Amino acid sequence: MRRSGGFASLVLLAACAVGSKASSNTLRLALINDPILNPVLSPDIGSVLVNKVIFPGLVRPDDQLRPSPDLATSWTVSSDGKVYTFALRRGVRWHDGVPFTSRDVQYTFEQIRDPKAGGFLWSDYTAIDRVETPDSFTVRFVLKSPFAAFLTLLGYNTGIIPEHAFHGKPIADNTGFNRTTPIGTGPFRVVSAVPGSSLTLEANPDYYGPRPKLAGIVFKLVPDANAQIAALRAGELDLITLEPASLPGVRDVPGLTIRQTTVPQHYFVGFNQRRPLFKPALVRRALDLAVNRKAIVDGVLKGAADLPVGTIPVALGEWFADSLPRAATDTAEALELLRQAGWNRDAGGALRNARGEPFRFTIRVDKGNPSREQSALALQQDWKSIGMDVSIETVEFAALVRDDLQPGKFDAILIWWTTPPDPDQYSYYVTDQINNNVAYSNRAVDSLLEIGRGETDPVRRRAIYHAFQAVEREDPPVLVLYYPREIQAMSDRLGGFPQLGIRDALRHAELFSLSSR
Amino acid sequence: MSGFRFLARRLAQGVLILWMVSSATFILMHLAPGGPSMLADPKLGPVERAAIEARLGLDLPLPAQYVAWHRNLLKGDLGQSYLYQTPAGSTVLARVPNTLLLAGSALLVSVLLAVPLGIRAGLRPGRPFDRLMEFVSVGALSLPTFWYGIVLIMIFAAMGHLLPAGGTATPGLEGSMVDRIRHLILPVAVLSLPIAGELFRYVRSGIEAMAHAPHIPAARAKGLTEGAITRRHLLRNALLPLVTVIGLQAPMLVGGAAITETVFSWPGMGRLGVEAALGRDYPVVMATTLAVAAAVVAGNVVLDLLYRWIDPRVRIE
Repeated sequence: MRRSGGFASLVLLAACAVGSKASSNTLRLALINDPILNPVLSPDIGSVLVNKVIFPGLVRPDDQLRPSPDLATSWTVSSDGKVYTFALRRGVRWHDGVPFTSRDVQYTFEQIRDPKAGGFLWSDYTAIDRVETPDSFTVRFVLKSPFAAFLTLLGYNTGIIPEHAFHGKPIADNTGFNRTTPIGTGPFRVVSAVPGSSLTLEANPDYYGPRPKLAGIVFKLVPDANAQIAALRAGELDLITLEPASLPGVRDVPGLTIRQTTVPQHYFVGFNQRRPLFKPALVRRALDLAVNRKAIVDGVLKGAADLPVGTIPVALGEWFADSLPRAATDTAEALELLRQAGWNRDAGGALRNARGEPFRFTIRVDKGNPSREQSALALQQDWKSIGMDVSIETVEFAALVRDDLQPGKFDAILIWWTTPPDPDQYSYYVTDQINNNVAYSNRAVDSLLEIGRGETDPVRRRAIYHAFQAVEREDPPVLVLYYPREIQAMSDRLGGFPQLGIRDALRHAELFSLSSR
Repeated sequence: MSGFRFLARRLAQGVLILWMVSSATFILMHLAPGGPSMLADPKLGPVERAAIEARLGLDLPLPAQYVAWHRNLLKGDLGQSYLYQTPAGSTVLARVPNTLLLAGSALLVSVLLAVPLGIRAGLRPGRPFDRLMEFVSVGALSLPTFWYGIVLIMIFAAMGHLLPAGGTATPGLEGSMVDRIRHLILPVAVLSLPIAGELFRYVRSGIEAMAHAPHIPAARAKGLTEGAITRRHLLRNALLPLVTVIGLQAPMLVGGAAITETVFSWPGMGRLGVEAALGRDYPVVMATTLAVAAAVVAGNVVLDLLYRWIDPRVRIE
């Protein structure tokens, strides 16, 4: 009786020990909704994050966000910049044991480049003419024209998917793969997916890189931002990213570390240059000079942002024109530029043109994000103080994009771009390109961005983008407000997490570790 | 016979109501600005947009979409979720057990709290206990869920480490009953308190009003004990409005626990519905609305039958 009792408690103890050991070496991260486990189909940030762990690409960004080998061990670029030949890693196996070959890469790009497949990467790869597989471990991309951002894009969101898992059927229809049983080549593989609750990954013992230090990663669905903070403080999550307004909830908590990293994003106010009001560069420069960005960065963003130069953010390292001065406030200069553009202040202080019309416009911002709504209020005050008549309209994000931004039906809009870590901004700021929603048009910018995307020599390419940023100071395509920093709150136990945004850091998940307390 | 005719008539009414609800939802949903969140990616070019719209059937004119949706519904096909890329019907059904568990537990706890407390307060109106409960129940009714939920999480999970901060189960321990109950405690506490507050007020006023009804002194004169009077004459009569309130609350719990479900990361239908509405996941919005409407219709039929059982004077016509 006694002995069996002792034995039972021993078993229980052992069970506890096993249980706690397994969980103490399992990283717990938060998602806000169920991810789509297919990098070609990833429609949202959560899916993108998870897929970075499961599906490596040919290359991946290193700690400077430069492309480094991953599923490809080396590559060559032809002298005309149009042919990229990759030597693939040998001996790589998919999570189901099937060998990985060049055909999988070719298949992935067939899916990406077929708009009917339902993917989100189509526009990244319009430069590709064809993808060839001379042998099982060589892939050759032939481009229509030189495209310098190509390598960076390969390492950004483009995970490789296994041809054999789809049996020639449309990839969007394979619900089993896309929801619960994905097959990748990454350091972690999915063992269970509980819709609405969690996604559990375990270390892949056959991973081609260094053996993962974690036993596994659990992505928990915690949709509410405050609940994420509570779960982090309760020790049920190990890392979250948060908004500046939430910083007080994690500051000075024992066992937590707060980090800020620069990320490839620029927040801006786009002025619709289809409107005569915003056509003159003088007016856009004046709007820019009137803004007190420091007040916004310190007050609204609690310092978690960097002051801008142009549209290329500081996270892009050498591509960022550090030698140019950061945007500054100068209301006297702003008023002088407006005077030159034909806008003078009347007796009441309001700006009027020769016809007596007021300087009136509406700025649109998405509803529900306190940082952006407060930024819009601060902007309104700054512009009002030099005599402009500015109103704010808050609109739901989807409506803002679909009904205002893309059809070009707005005066001014507060929004942002998240870009791959490459300075190519051709689609955003070249005349008549698809993402140039503000209808910006500058000949010098058109040619610089055209040459820049084709230039494969890094030194010459850098000079081109620094020149682009200098032109932006004279004729700003948009009013760049700030480059946000990503705020990460993480357990002190977490090690090996690169000093990168979580998007890029997750490409290095095999290096993460958790120390025991 | 009348029972059968009653059910048949209610069924026909139910179908009509569901059709009206689905039509209204369809129209409102498409009137709302924006569109499916997957199309809200500002980077999306016209080629990808057109391909996605064609795949989702959004390139058809609205009347054609309306007809197609109802035709597929008759075949039992509620369409494919945009956000989850799974069949909308089974996506909603998969959330039903979680919803029933949370809503059912919350309702049970509410009744267990409200009925005894309501009887006690209603039998001695104006006494200190009644005054105190008046205050407590109004407080319970007016607590904002998102705030109160986070406060409970901070106290019991972040500071006390006594209970989990959210979710339905610890990943890997999905089968454990103890683990499931530990996950239920906080959300049930949050969800049941305002319901208990409301039910309490109905029970209390029902008992108080009934205590002055002429049949109570008659029963007392008959020599019945106070306990028997309460059970047989007071409670049974006071129960009728209570059943009505519960019957109306129950379906609302199914769809209306969205905030609690979000704060506690509880994958129920309410959260699914809100996420679908925000993401303009049309098929899931339609499926959740239909499911909740069906629950309301069914709840009302059950209610009518219950009335008859509780109070034999009630006739179903």
